[in-house]
Amino acid sequence: MKRRMRAGVLILLTVSGVPTLSGLAAALWFGVDAASLTRVLDTPGIGLSIASSVWTGLVATLLSLALAHLAVAVAATGGWRRRLNAFSLPLLAMPHLAVGIGLALVLAPSGLLLRLISPAVTGLTEPPDWLSVQDPYGLSLIAGLVVKETAFLVLVLFAALTQVPAERLLLQARSLGYGRLKAWLVAVAPLLQQQIRLPLAAVLVFGLTNVEMAIPLGPDLPPTFSVMLWRWFVDADPAIHVQAYTGTLVLLFVTVLTVIVASRAARAFGVLWRRWAENGSRLRGEATARGAVGAFVSSVWILGMLALFAILLRSAAGVWRFPDVLPASAALSSWSGVLPAAGNVAGTTILLAAATALVGVILVLPVAEQLHRDAALRSRLGAWLFLPLLLPQMTFLFGVQVLLAYLGIDGTFPAVLWSHLIFALPYLWGLLAPARAAIDPRYLAVARTLGAGPARAWLTATMPLILRSILLAIALAFSVSIALYLPTLFAGAGRIATAATEAAAAAGSGTLRLAAVHGILLAVLPLAAFTAAYAAGAALFRNRRGMPR
Amino acid sequence: MCRLLVIVALLACAIGVSAQPDVDPPEWTKTQRLGVGQTVYFNAWGGDPAINRYIEWSAGRVRERYGVQLVHVKVTDIAESVSRIMAERVAERDDNGSVDLLWINGENFAALKQADLLWGPWTGRLPNAELIDWQGNPTTRIDVTLPTEGFELPWGTSTFTLFYDRSHVASDAKPPPRDPATLLRWIEAHPGRFSYPQPPAFLGTAFLKQLLLLLTDDLDRVQRPVGDDFDAVTARLWAWLDRAHTGMWRRGRLFPRGGPAQRELLAGGELHWMMSYNPAEASRAIRQGELHESIRALHLEGGALANSHFLAIPYNAGSKAGAMLVADFLISPEAQARKSDESVWGDPTVLNLERLPATDRAPFEALQPGAATPSPPDRLLAEPHPSWAARLEREWLERYVR
Repeated sequence: MKRRMRAGVLILLTVSGVPTLSGLAAALWFGVDAASLTRVLDTPGIGLSIASSVWTGLVATLLSLALAHLAVAVAATGGWRRRLNAFSLPLLAMPHLAVGIGLALVLAPSGLLLRLISPAVTGLTEPPDWLSVQDPYGLSLIAGLVVKETAFLVLVLFAALTQVPAERLLLQARSLGYGRLKAWLVAVAPLLQQQIRLPLAAVLVFGLTNVEMAIPLGPDLPPTFSVMLWRWFVDADPAIHVQAYTGTLVLLFVTVLTVIVASRAARAFGVLWRRWAENGSRLRGEATARGAVGAFVSSVWILGMLALFAILLRSAAGVWRFPDVLPASAALSSWSGVLPAAGNVAGTTILLAAATALVGVILVLPVAEQLHRDAALRSRLGAWLFLPLLLPQMTFLFGVQVLLAYLGIDGTFPAVLWSHLIFALPYLWGLLAPARAAIDPRYLAVARTLGAGPARAWLTATMPLILRSILLAIALAFSVSIALYLPTLFAGAGRIATAATEAAAAAGSGTLRLAAVHGILLAVLPLAAFTAAYAAGAALFRNRRGMPR
Repeated sequence: MCRLLVIVALLACAIGVSAQPDVDPPEWTKTQRLGVGQTVYFNAWGGDPAINRYIEWSAGRVRERYGVQLVHVKVTDIAESVSRIMAERVAERDDNGSVDLLWINGENFAALKQADLLWGPWTGRLPNAELIDWQGNPTTRIDVTLPTEGFELPWGTSTFTLFYDRSHVASDAKPPPRDPATLLRWIEAHPGRFSYPQPPAFLGTAFLKQLLLLLTDDLDRVQRPVGDDFDAVTARLWAWLDRAHTGMWRRGRLFPRGGPAQRELLAGGELHWMMSYNPAEASRAIRQGELHESIRALHLEGGALANSHFLAIPYNAGSKAGAMLVADFLISPEAQARKSDESVWGDPTVLNLERLPATDRAPFEALQPGAATPSPPDRLLAEPHPSWAARLEREWLERYVR
């Protein structure tokens, strides 16, 4: 039993840890080079590029965190918790790349937003020459990140809520005379904040290092540092490659530094927060504050939905001159052009996502079962699996590519599957392990005392209780896989084409129309997966009450 | 006199013969046998649906004809594939590499050839190679000042062309700007409506080269590698750009990422100009409902920058026979005529039409260029030495990344 338990844990750690650590080692091996560091630092606009990465990542993370806390506070104390949860899901399900492409189509001067109000409100008959997308200050990039990360953090906060005695704390604070909102913010929110530090760090790291959002929305003169590195990686000149490896180490350094500074700043902020909590003052205009938060959250949500709508519209549009809200003609040429190939792309994308979900659940479920009474080991394993999400993807993915090439399996389906598992496992573990541990052991004990063997007891007592979580985990892993761009690019050696690689390539060359065609697949598949998971869960348990979630 | 004619004829023959490939029929049969069932990974820029469709069609034809599976690996920039081949060299993956055929020219060809990462010479083995216009079109033999030496096969020829929206830029009374000085005045008078793809996107670099060739006094100088006189030779170019940027789209603080991006901006009404190496690009886009009818084309006075684009086989390609079969098909009259068709792609052919039998020539003669296709330029300007492009790109970044 003990040995089997170790075997399961070991497999998980191998699948996730070996490529991550060896990738990191390879990056260090190839990247530490003084001459190449000089060249990196000598690149025109390098300082601005790094600064814009840090700026956009930090601001987007802060805004998302504040917005998520406020939204959860208002929703939890105002009775629209379920609605917020439901509203967050589509934004969470849509990959960054799809949201980025969609927002570029919404926010551009010739984009959907301005068309909706032109010329009626603005009087514009020609698109204005505004820097509303890819602006040098990274504001459009920040907006895109906020749409995605707020939704993610809202769901993380809701998950953390199960670990916190919120009702009791709220009641205590209210009995001291605080309004609902301030009571939540001083009594519950700090505890939630404690719980979400790891996912929050992942959000910050992603904000600093992503290319998915920065390609369609980020500035270009210079681009954010990760996009600059991404361009170096695909350059013809081998000298620039060495520069890229060194660059990823600079990215790692900048990221670690930012995370450390941010966590220090957070501690200082915590002290201020406590002072605000202890000063006894009441929050005035709570109703207004609630309204403002509601309006802000709604506009973020509407922006996300507009992005989806813009993708659908753009991909089918022919000549679509400003300021027409709808295209004059539906040119299905871009569709007919890519459809034969898109069939293959869709096939690969779905197959890869399904395989990731299936293999991931098969790897995680037994370990979740075996560790369901060992909370310490569970959280340690979780932290290890989480490591890839705390590193800049590019820093270790190049090393992963070298490893795969060495094994002679780069560019193959299993190689890409492996790279996707690295990123799906932390989510699967985060969902399935707590779900399994939360099941009351007495159900199983009752089943066993009634004479059921271990297998039958598991099937009749445990499985139904965890089935919904399994369905949700499958949808989650499926969506994670569909969204992955850099892992597919590096491990796939450019041979494995998925919706993400096609859409990113199109967005990278600025052809938003082509990006939109692939973006549809990217946006719709995860939504379909989640819908299916919820529908299946509801159908399976339609005549049961009190089943978990 | 008579004797002189004979000598001239003999010389011409000799040149013709030396340029003619020495095809060995049994060897070609062997290539055909070897190629059956091979999968050819064709790494080619995938940013244009029309080109992707054309390659898709070619894949169907080579499957029928040779039993070769052609897979289009769509890349954002062929430099990605070049770097992959180099990475494979480092990883000592010296056979069965991930790339079998590349669509390439210029700097990328130079990089691979100088690193000895191309297989060849091989183009002389192809039966259809003798149809290429080796003599009439020197860009088929010399790729951006570097002789191809049989390591890459010309696939199409490009001339740098500007396109404009007639309804905004010109009228019957007022012709469009046709030289750098008038273009600059137009840009200053119409802020926000002109731009060019951001270097090092190849069309952006091409625009810089085209301007440099028109603004410099010494065309021969740029055929030789760049030297200490870079600043002097390019001073007028930077002066032009410095002034023009203030009147350009987004005041020169953002540029379209590539040609197709610029075309989308023209279609959306943000820009009134675009540029392309393909003279038929706008006509084709109009036919396909991607651009409006009022687009017209022009070549700048003083000559159009011209080059060819090529097919090459990496040293470690796993399916060399298959790659050669595909390449031979792509320069066949059938494939070239379809490629020249503006309703398909509209990329000018590399074949010497006079060498074709009438039946093969007929589809070329039946082609009808659209209103947005310019007549051939008065003069073709050869590409500068690649070192100029590299230096221009670097200098551009130094100047305009702020």
